[in-house]
Amino acid sequence: MDARRVELSALQAEIAALRRACEETPAPAENATRGQKSFQEIYQSDSEGWESSKDLRSHLGHLESEILFLSTLTGIKIRNYSKKTKDLTSTEMTEKSIKKVLQRHRLSGNCHMITFQLEFQILEIQNKKSLSSVITDLNIIMEPTEYSELSEFVSRAEERRDLFMFFRSLRFFVEWCEYRKRTFKHFKEKYPEAVHLAEGAASSCMGVRSASQPGFEVVIVWRIQIDDEGKVLPKLDLLTQVPQRVLELDKNRVIETAPLGFRNLLGVLGIEATLESLIKLLCTEEHARSRH
Amino acid sequence: TAGTLVRGLSVLAHLERLETRMHRSRKKLEEPQTVQAEESALVTEIQKLRRLRDKLRAEVKRRQAGVKASTANVEPDQTWEITEQEVLERKWENLKAVLQAYRFTGLSGKLTSRGVCVCISTAFEGNLLDSYFMDLIVQKPLRIHRHSVPVFIPLEELSAKYLETNIQHFLFTLCEYLNAYSGRKYQADRLQSDFAAFLAGPLQRNSLCNLLSFTYKVEPRGQSFPLCARLLYKDLTRTLPTDVTVTYQGMDALSTSWEEQRASQENLFRTKPLHHVFTSFARKGEMLDMSLVS
Repeated sequence: MDARRVELSALQAEIAALRRACEETPAPAENATRGQKSFQEIYQSDSEGWESSKDLRSHLGHLESEILFLSTLTGIKIRNYSKKTKDLTSTEMTEKSIKKVLQRHRLSGNCHMITFQLEFQILEIQNKKSLSSVITDLNIIMEPTEYSELSEFVSRAEERRDLFMFFRSLRFFVEWCEYRKRTFKHFKEKYPEAVHLAEGAASSCMGVRSASQPGFEVVIVWRIQIDDEGKVLPKLDLLTQVPQRVLELDKNRVIETAPLGFRNLLGVLGIEATLESLIKLLCTEEHARSRH
Repeated sequence: TAGTLVRGLSVLAHLERLETRMHRSRKKLEEPQTVQAEESALVTEIQKLRRLRDKLRAEVKRRQAGVKASTANVEPDQTWEITEQEVLERKWENLKAVLQAYRFTGLSGKLTSRGVCVCISTAFEGNLLDSYFMDLIVQKPLRIHRHSVPVFIPLEELSAKYLETNIQHFLFTLCEYLNAYSGRKYQADRLQSDFAAFLAGPLQRNSLCNLLSFTYKVEPRGQSFPLCARLLYKDLTRTLPTDVTVTYQGMDALSTSWEEQRASQENLFRTKPLHHVFTSFARKGEMLDMSLVS
């Protein structure tokens, strides 16, 4: 009995010393990408060893061109990505051949002028029959935040943990923003006197005034909205700014019904043709620059 | 880094828990027991501590090996070359990771000898579902060589409209269609598998999963009247129906309260995913059961 008690205290002492040793030595990084692997691990993970820097450089070049290609294809540029894996399989699960793994992903990049940072978790459960992967958490940070339509969209995407919808809608949103900018710029260039972009081509408003009828102005408000299901839709409205006396003269209520007429015209002619006809209508006396 | 520290601490925490358990079992030992029982308890405890010690030894060894590996053997005259190599290797690791990450956009691809093979991933409410691929040949004109897109997705229509002029738009629109289809399919599958008890007959569905027709009850066992639902998803890029018709089976004229119920059911199907509607029926039923029991 004494021998056993001796062994007991010896074990306890050793355990205490080992615990101290554990705390002093840092744990090596496992399953973490981003350059934390040792050279040996890199050589082992890839069957080809790097012969020289030249060899490595050509492979790097190939990788870079693949990434460039993907960013052109998708319109999304990913700059950084890292992943950590945590094995959640309990001993009971192992007995039933069930594997449970939690992945933590971090990714950042940009889609044109909008930069994003994402952190999400994926829970993977593998049993004998199938593999299920579920996104269990999604956090999105986006800049710039002046696109107010985006903040609501981001919260919805986070709530639904809909990662793909986030990228899809982001891409469509940016595409619409670019199209709006190009269209506004085009009309500004074509009708420099009549068209007025108070906040520049990237804003959501375009003003049209008639030089011959001062005080008479219409503003086209072009918003880009993202609905509940992530669908990106343009929403155009016409606002009229006319002097009081003109309104009084407008017996047929043309000006009052103009916004509705505008919306109908959009449905028939599309955005560009509608804007063009509206500008032309207001500037019949203008000498527009001819189209190249 | 924070991550490794957390993991290291969790290993220590686990070991700590083992230790506490051992302390507790030791306390038990100190209670008056027969000599034999004391003996066997001591033996058990020694075994436990041996296991813990072995685990800790292995952990320390692992950590020390890790430290050794990261301070790699560097020969003095090759220092400069390895530093440059190190930089390039890190860059390579980073780029490889970024390349892998593209699949999380839902759209990924690999260059092939003749063009590109695109992979579209789908998901619904965080559940990762089927993936589809498409082999594009980069030539004039750009064309689709092979693909795994189901026939009922209007691929020809989309490619005729966008493939040549705006490939990004084409791909993301296709993503929309495929994700919506996946989502509708997921909802119909869940209805059939999880809420079969609520259905009074088979779920009728088409392959595009945009026309569903079924008879159901709000209570699986109850005496409630069966309802007939018809869900039409006219917009193939959406996972919620555009047209919903709910009728009480075999009844045309309804009293106000029944009409209200019918209308509210219609509204439910129009605004919530299909399986969520039935989850709420199940919950209501549970609450009803609870109130009956208490």
